[in-house]
Amino acid sequence: MTDRAARLVRHRVLLLVLALFGLVGIPGLYFAKVIDIETVNTLGRYLTYAMVAIGLDLIWGYAGILSLCQALFFAIGAYAMGMFMAHQYTSLDNPAIPQSLYLVYPFEIGETSADAVLPWFWVPFKSFPVALVLAICIPAAVAAIIGFFGFISRVRGVYFAILTQALTVGACLFFGDNDMCLCGTNGLSQFSTFLGVDLGSEKLKLVMYLVSLVSTIGVYLLCRFIVQSRFGRILVAIRDDENTLHFTGYKPHQYKLFVFALSAAIAGLAGALYIPQMQIITPSDMAAIESILIVVWVAVGGRGTLSGAILGALVVNLLYKNLTSPIEVFGLRMWKPDYWPILLGAVFVGVVMFLPRGLLSLPGRLKERKSKVPNPTPKPVEAK
Amino acid sequence: MKRLWIIACLLILVAGATAEPAAEEDDLSALVLKLADEDAVVRAKAIQDLVLTGDHRLEHFFDQYRSGALYLWQGRPVLGGDIRMDDELDEYLPLLDVLSGEPLLSEAGQPLESLIDDVIEVEVGSPERKLARAAKFRVGLASTNPKTRLASVKRLGDPPRKSELLNDLLALHENDPVKKIRYTALESVSLIRMTDASLPPEEREAAARQLGDLDSARALAVLREMVRNKEIPEDRLPAYEAVMVQIEKYQGWVSLFDTIKRGLSSGSILILMALGLAVTFGMMGVINMAHGEMMMIGAYTTFCLQLVFGHTSSEANNWFFVFALPISFLVAAGIGGLIEFGIVRHLYKRPLESLLATFGISLVLIQLIRLVFGDNQASNSPTWLVGYVEVMQDMVLPYGRVFIFLLTVIVVLGIASLMKFTTLGLHMRATMQNRPMAQAMGVNTRMIDLFTFMLGSGIAGVAGCALTTIGGITPDMGQNYIIDSFLVVVAGGVGKLLGVICSGLGLGVISQTLEGYWLSPVWSKIVILMLLVAFIQFKPAGLFPPKGRLADD
Repeated sequence: MTDRAARLVRHRVLLLVLALFGLVGIPGLYFAKVIDIETVNTLGRYLTYAMVAIGLDLIWGYAGILSLCQALFFAIGAYAMGMFMAHQYTSLDNPAIPQSLYLVYPFEIGETSADAVLPWFWVPFKSFPVALVLAICIPAAVAAIIGFFGFISRVRGVYFAILTQALTVGACLFFGDNDMCLCGTNGLSQFSTFLGVDLGSEKLKLVMYLVSLVSTIGVYLLCRFIVQSRFGRILVAIRDDENTLHFTGYKPHQYKLFVFALSAAIAGLAGALYIPQMQIITPSDMAAIESILIVVWVAVGGRGTLSGAILGALVVNLLYKNLTSPIEVFGLRMWKPDYWPILLGAVFVGVVMFLPRGLLSLPGRLKERKSKVPNPTPKPVEAK
Repeated sequence: MKRLWIIACLLILVAGATAEPAAEEDDLSALVLKLADEDAVVRAKAIQDLVLTGDHRLEHFFDQYRSGALYLWQGRPVLGGDIRMDDELDEYLPLLDVLSGEPLLSEAGQPLESLIDDVIEVEVGSPERKLARAAKFRVGLASTNPKTRLASVKRLGDPPRKSELLNDLLALHENDPVKKIRYTALESVSLIRMTDASLPPEEREAAARQLGDLDSARALAVLREMVRNKEIPEDRLPAYEAVMVQIEKYQGWVSLFDTIKRGLSSGSILILMALGLAVTFGMMGVINMAHGEMMMIGAYTTFCLQLVFGHTSSEANNWFFVFALPISFLVAAGIGGLIEFGIVRHLYKRPLESLLATFGISLVLIQLIRLVFGDNQASNSPTWLVGYVEVMQDMVLPYGRVFIFLLTVIVVLGIASLMKFTTLGLHMRATMQNRPMAQAMGVNTRMIDLFTFMLGSGIAGVAGCALTTIGGITPDMGQNYIIDSFLVVVAGGVGKLLGVICSGLGLGVISQTLEGYWLSPVWSKIVILMLLVAFIQFKPAGLFPPKGRLADD
């Protein structure tokens, strides 16, 4: 067995152990009352972030497409599921209208709330399966449209990043507009139950955590399967030299389109799992910075590795959770939440400058330094 | 430096000339004292005499007098402020100067007060009140200051449009040296006549026609209200409607002018921002997400200079602005240089990562500034840039916007000539076109990179400095501009000055047109994004693509 294969096996065993710990250990700790339900809930939410990060790693780490609109896809998924949940909590005056809508609903017919009509696009979201399918398909469709126009005209690299960012800003304005009947800047937040279970109940939080974990593992396995297949090799070829691939007779834009839509679908699913755990979604969740944050998770974990994306998402978010509250050491206020953006910015710069292959490459690097033996794995060619 | 001195001397001269000559205080006081006379004829005469002195401070005095704030204290006239009650329920009246309205000071420098029982209130009868109102306007109309005159003339045309001063207004319309005042006087006269129900309908209609010929925007609102309240007789309605159409047509041109003006000025800011981006992007392929923060730094540098020079809204010290432009350029360029030298240079082969790193820098900069300065700072633009020039009737050009436009023109010309006529510019263009070849010919491309980055950051700093004249400053002000300026770069083509200028102005004008006429700001932004996406389909390399047959990049 070569050194590399041995490492791969060790890597897989580690992942398996971690997955088992998530599936059994965390609920066990919860039942043993070592951790409270809020921790489980937080972990569940961070796992949905990890899913988005895996999707981004698939397109950025493997196909070299830097998309700055993953948060938009995530939010669309969350909105779709949120609309389903909003239907469960209707207004007393008018059982046809979700309570959420009342915050901003512009009464177009009649003067009172009883005369209000449900906007047409809210109707399909009454059923759970339709809502779930739409939560996955709408982001994929949006990505397909962006990809179709972007990739056909060979918008790539930084241009594509800027284009997607501009679209995200536009979408953020769109969702925030009151006339869109998407509850404006308030977002969706008036919920009571999810599939008949009270949203505040510990049972739901635990189940949602487990569902998020299983989905994350599923998404990871799917992406792992893709990158190890022939298809995955083409993706890497696109990243490393799209022109040569094009001249060899492939049509890179078709591959890019598919993988971009797939990553959007993953983000949509993650969003749909996120909203029952967070119980609020607003247009600010799709602001430009949110998408960049997702890129940062992947960069911190190590791009082009898939498992690095999960690691990065969990590490950065746990840091965020612990560092946005004041920390006192010896009675002195050592840390203020105000410092968090500075630290985050420093992490951006630091990771990009000194750890271009992310946290996952850290053990290898340390070992390398100790034994002074050059790394046997070939360095991946940097994407353009 | 010599020129500066000349400007300074001129300014002092102008300041001296506009100061009003001090009226003879004693005479005025004596006249004011007569207002307390028991004889109504004497009181009316006193008001007339006061008007004849033409002292502009009397405007304020007449207002106070009408509201009954004139008192006699130890035989001299004073104005009373808000009554203060002490613990023993004694009421004290703060004493104010009759003319200036400032508190009177005792010999020890304390504000004077008097027990309410020790002062005599000067009674104001209704004839005096009426006279004082007219007198107040007359003082305004007779003022030597054109601004005061204009304000008074304008106010007379607002409700309650009293016809008592019509003759004074007509006289002003005939004789005033300032065109705007002549115009406004006629406008006010016509407004008064048109709304005067005691006049015969023909005369009112004639006044309305007159307003139509004047293209008066003020009349339009009044006319609309009259139509709504059905004040106009049925048979005369068509004539009035024709007047409204006439005015609306002119106002349409005015709003077109406004739209273009706003478009050009927002386009100018975009150009200043995009210039630096386009150059760094074109040369190094690096997207500088912290570019917006360079603008923010320029704005805060200006703000700091304002503090150093002690320029406030009440006490102007305009010199700070003379220094602010170059200093904000230098500070922003310096910080840009640090970023290039410390970070961007090392990521030169990895443009996507440099995008992330510079975004991290922008986060740090925004938060640092927020920790130091807090969230919002109001900035006071130099008084030189306050005010406006009226090109045609109702078409107003604020100096601030003209300044930004001119500044952009100067900066663009400067950059263009730098690129075209200097060795440095030659090296820059060479590096942009073909880096390895330029290197082979002995161009120090590393230094050129550094210089370009600093130049771009500096221009953004200047943009920030200019922005302080039209808005407040916040730590995240750069974020509002960065995406728009990227779009400008994308549409204009990378590294193409002409493309940036065209697309910057185009984007500014298009978005203002959409906002001005058809869409809400949100929708106009969305529409512009869609337009851009479509545009990139046809012209992936921007407005002016480079000639050649490159496969990409």
